[in-house]
Amino acid sequence: MKTITFDVKKRNQIALEMDEVIPDKIYSWEAEDFDKYAVPVGNSRFPITDFFDITVEGTADSPAEVKMIFNGDCGRVKYIGNKMSAGEIIVNGDADLHVGAEMSGGAITVHGNCEAHAGREMTGGTLEIFGNTKEFTGASYIGEWRGMRGGKITVHGNAGKQCGECLVGGHIHVKGDCDILAGIHMRKGLIEIDGNVNRWPGGQMKNGNIIIRGRLGRLLEGFVEEEIVTNPVINGIEFDGTFIKYKGDIALKGKGHLYIDAEKNRDKLSAWEDEDDEYISLGDNRLR
Amino acid sequence: MEYILKNGIVYDPANEIKGEKKDVCFKDGKIVEDVSAAAKEIDVTDKIVMPAGVDTHAHVAGPKLVLGRLYRPEDSRRGVTQKTKNERGESGFSIPSCPTTGYRYSRMGYGTVCEAAMPPLEAKHTHEEICIIPNIDINPLTLFGNNWFILEMARENKIDEMAAFISAWLKITKGYGVKIVNPCGSEAWGWGMNVHGYDDKPPYFDVTSREVVRALAKANEKLGLPHSIHIHPNDLGHPGNTNTTIETLDSLKDIVKSNSKAASVRDQIVHCTHMQFHSYTGTNWRDAGSGAEEVAKFLNHNKHVTGDIGQVTLDETTTMTADAPMEYDLYQLSGLKWVNADIECETAAGIIPCIYSPKTPVSTLQWAIGLELFLLTKDPWQINLTTDHPNAGPFTRYPRIISWLMSAPKRISMIENGEVHNWAEKRTSLATLDREYDFYDIATITRASNARVHGFTDRGNLSVGSNADIAVYDLEPNNFDPSKDPEAVEKAFSRAKYTIKDGQIMVQDGEIVSTKPSQVLWTNVKGIEDQEKAVLDQVMPFFTQYYSVKWENYKVHDHFLSNPIRVDVEMEGK
Repeated sequence: MKTITFDVKKRNQIALEMDEVIPDKIYSWEAEDFDKYAVPVGNSRFPITDFFDITVEGTADSPAEVKMIFNGDCGRVKYIGNKMSAGEIIVNGDADLHVGAEMSGGAITVHGNCEAHAGREMTGGTLEIFGNTKEFTGASYIGEWRGMRGGKITVHGNAGKQCGECLVGGHIHVKGDCDILAGIHMRKGLIEIDGNVNRWPGGQMKNGNIIIRGRLGRLLEGFVEEEIVTNPVINGIEFDGTFIKYKGDIALKGKGHLYIDAEKNRDKLSAWEDEDDEYISLGDNRLR
Repeated sequence: MEYILKNGIVYDPANEIKGEKKDVCFKDGKIVEDVSAAAKEIDVTDKIVMPAGVDTHAHVAGPKLVLGRLYRPEDSRRGVTQKTKNERGESGFSIPSCPTTGYRYSRMGYGTVCEAAMPPLEAKHTHEEICIIPNIDINPLTLFGNNWFILEMARENKIDEMAAFISAWLKITKGYGVKIVNPCGSEAWGWGMNVHGYDDKPPYFDVTSREVVRALAKANEKLGLPHSIHIHPNDLGHPGNTNTTIETLDSLKDIVKSNSKAASVRDQIVHCTHMQFHSYTGTNWRDAGSGAEEVAKFLNHNKHVTGDIGQVTLDETTTMTADAPMEYDLYQLSGLKWVNADIECETAAGIIPCIYSPKTPVSTLQWAIGLELFLLTKDPWQINLTTDHPNAGPFTRYPRIISWLMSAPKRISMIENGEVHNWAEKRTSLATLDREYDFYDIATITRASNARVHGFTDRGNLSVGSNADIAVYDLEPNNFDPSKDPEAVEKAFSRAKYTIKDGQIMVQDGEIVSTKPSQVLWTNVKGIEDQEKAVLDQVMPFFTQYYSVKWENYKVHDHFLSNPIRVDVEMEGK
């Protein structure tokens, strides 16, 4: 097992691009290799040792045996764990754009906040963020129509706009709140939101599942109520509680499902005007 | 500065040099017979030496490229490199940035590229982009096939006026030749329609595609332009379009080729572009099949036609064309993001990403048809290697196509090992074709024939006095069997050992070592000035009333041009 520690010396004004410093590429590197390495910064390269104190302990024969630890503010360090396939990265601080982007395996843990595009287009592995994330968590690259395909992202804080955009697989779990358009254009996979959602989840979704345990601000017109479900099992996971199940986005003949907590969103029920405590009349009313 | 390339194995089809070991000398940017003892010697012993490549048909500059880059940022992130001492940073795969386009052509040993569709209204923009593409010369073809003035003149069969109009518009737009895209179809698209077949009419213009194409061909020959009409026929990409393609080409065989000096270089009356997209049988994609045999047979019997293939490369790419209704059809099929544009009174355009997956039947069928056309056409001088960049794939895949053409076992293994869908075997004859191109054939379809098709005499050959545009590839043809090692062929043609442009070494061992500004080639017809003035007087009231730009802002002024090469043409009979 090899542990490589990067202690941040200073927060650079221009972002560093760390896509070349991932377990797959540096598992055999020793301290002197880092001394020779120049990291891309804007349109130039500078010695990585200008920005980090780097210590290397142990040896590794494969990327899976590498543990990278970033200590300090990495708020201007982009592409941490970009395209990694194995190994572990721990960031004790904030991370900049594209953390875990296109990763296919291994684990990344961020004990801070992440900028946009966390877990972008990842196909495997796990990304756990203990702070908040900004826009496009687990989404596609700008203009691309295929987002996250596999693996799991867990955000313990809140997620920004368009979380899970163009999702085609995998599982995103946001334990806090979520901003607008979560799961827009999604085609497969699962987005689980424990907190409240601003508005318009699942816009133009073709398939997949979104489950919201908190309060939903506003639902798009392209979703139709199907039924009330209790303890639904989605993608092999059982979710406790009673949910209103919608199908959508019918504007695109979508067959996706959106589950929202029935208790916290009673005003969304079509039977709301008639019923107080029970949802039994929903089946009769849903086609109105 | 004098140079001598020593002991290379030279392939120069224009001079019928077929793999001879000899020296090539150049001085001050031109090929010369001999050089002095002070000449710098470059040892290329036993390596392949060819004229630099000439691309007959590609889309490398213009508004649709910019639109494509803007709406496909996901493409721009592919192929990103940092700047070096000699290069700016690169970006893009199917729609590379302008500098990247120049560098990548240079790396493959190319020196000249035809920008195949320049809308007159956007000509300034096209030339501005050409200005920032380094290392290659570019000849843009001006779009005429749906121009309202042309449609009117064709309807009234005013060939003389049309010739004057073309001449004037080539001067105004600084264009090299006449491009026709889906004649009448792009105009019909302005009304949400298309034309189907060769004798259909667009709304409000009582004229058929046949009349427009024939009139343009006659006007082209009347002017004696160096290039023939360059046509993208009707019904592109539609199953069953083989008939339309053959009907279009057959309708032009009675047209008499010009005797002008410029036109005498070429053999053809018509150049049919991306023939693969026009060689389908069937009635829909379920029963679609290959029309390659029929089209190739037609080519083999009709020397008035040349064509380029538009070979599908089985990549994810971006399609962009002035055939806007076809792009709408593609959008209906794929549902991917789509751009549609109208160029007032002149043409239209559409853009949509396209994934040519080897696992899908239609993409595989297209791939196989392209290769069939290459292999069934007997005379390599009649066909050129293109991918209709970026429509069927990026130009950077030319080396891969070369490797497919040179290795039958490679093609067979792709079919037998399931690398491509079984439609290649079931619906085409590709698996039965064992023809293999040799290096002489490759030199013909990538430089010699291409140059002749465009009427170039100063490039595409290694004749004394020609431009010193030379490519050297790191293969020893006398000790190498391309059939057995297609990967080595692809690698060698992807990274030229040397690319020399106008006597300047641009690439060495696959790396850019120097750059030079591009040059634009445009055609200037002499002896028709009075007729041009008359036709301008005639069209100006309409132009002033309906165009949203002023005439003064429409013309491409000289300062928009990148080191222009003016090709003067004496009009026939003058």
